[in-house]
Amino acid sequence: MALPESLRMSITPPELELISSQQLLEIVPLISMERTAFISGAYGPLRPPNKAIVPIWMAVNLKSKKKCHIVAPAWLNVDFLQDRLNYETSKPGFSDLPFRFMEISKVLLDVASDDLEDPDKLRSLLKDLREARQAKSRDGLKRLDHSELSLPNLSSMEINEIRPFFVQSMHMLTQLVREPSAA
Amino acid sequence: MISLTSVTWAEVLNATRVSVLGDFSSYTHSIIQIAALSKIQVPIWLAYVLIYSDWADFNIPTPFGPRVRNALKAEARSVRLAGLVGAGGLWYGFGKTIVDILAEEQANEISEVLTKTFRARLVEVIDQAQHFAALGPVGAGGASGDVAQLFREGLDSTERELFSLAQESAKRTKKWYEESDRSRR
Repeated sequence: MALPESLRMSITPPELELISSQQLLEIVPLISMERTAFISGAYGPLRPPNKAIVPIWMAVNLKSKKKCHIVAPAWLNVDFLQDRLNYETSKPGFSDLPFRFMEISKVLLDVASDDLEDPDKLRSLLKDLREARQAKSRDGLKRLDHSELSLPNLSSMEINEIRPFFVQSMHMLTQLVREPSAA
Repeated sequence: MISLTSVTWAEVLNATRVSVLGDFSSYTHSIIQIAALSKIQVPIWLAYVLIYSDWADFNIPTPFGPRVRNALKAEARSVRLAGLVGAGGLWYGFGKTIVDILAEEQANEISEVLTKTFRARLVEVIDQAQHFAALGPVGAGGASGDVAQLFREGLDSTERELFSLAQESAKRTKKWYEESDRSRR
């Protein structure tokens, strides 16, 4: 299968969102459901008002039909994100955030903003985090080397964004720099 | 690369079928005498063979000469690399080939120049690419816009590739992110 040129270098964001939706999330179901087998595994049973753990895609589906309430993951609250933002602005490294935090937070803010505390504040915190980290990855670009570059704690969406041109520039640098040892 | 470079012949050569200026439509079986120490323009790939076989010697071509190098040392981002090696602008590629031809010491120097320039211009390229990913088709005006535009016109074609890669990926991510502000479900 031949991919068009624009898709060859990286994964598309909707694809990443789909992959991240496989992760498990806690919900409070409003309907009952027996233990059901899906392709990815068997989930349930759902017995309101007990909490249950289901994949995000299923939670989103139920939520859109108003059949559950979503319990926010441990990291999706104002304090945690504010703490991470402070770290970002004060220290040179990247702060420790869940690998797919951008995709998951976007999906949850879309679907379940009423289940989350203070969604507007969350949105603005996430935006600030994103900008701070982008500035740092730009600095990392200056230190680009032809042999390796390590940017720990970068999230999946951010890696996907910078991958194409980082890889290409490293390729260029390899061609330009290796000459002395070859000659 | 059909770009030309000039070489200085080291000795008298009786050559047959020397097609000067790389015009492949006219191969002639003629015997041409090339006097020693005359300057001839030949395509790059031929120049490599000639120099390797010690039939000719080689001066560093203008795009890598001292003038360009000083300009780059002063401010790498203000030099217009696109025009320096003719249409298609493969300044870095040209430089790499030159580095292959030259001897050890000079090759190191030129490769130093190449890498430093690349690194310095890279940040600017990516910045502009992300800036352009954000805006629509209508560009931004103002004084800084002109400088940015000049820079973009002077981009080497490898830099242009990087520019479009960065712009594409930034646009995709931004589009996906903007989607989150409207509810989709």
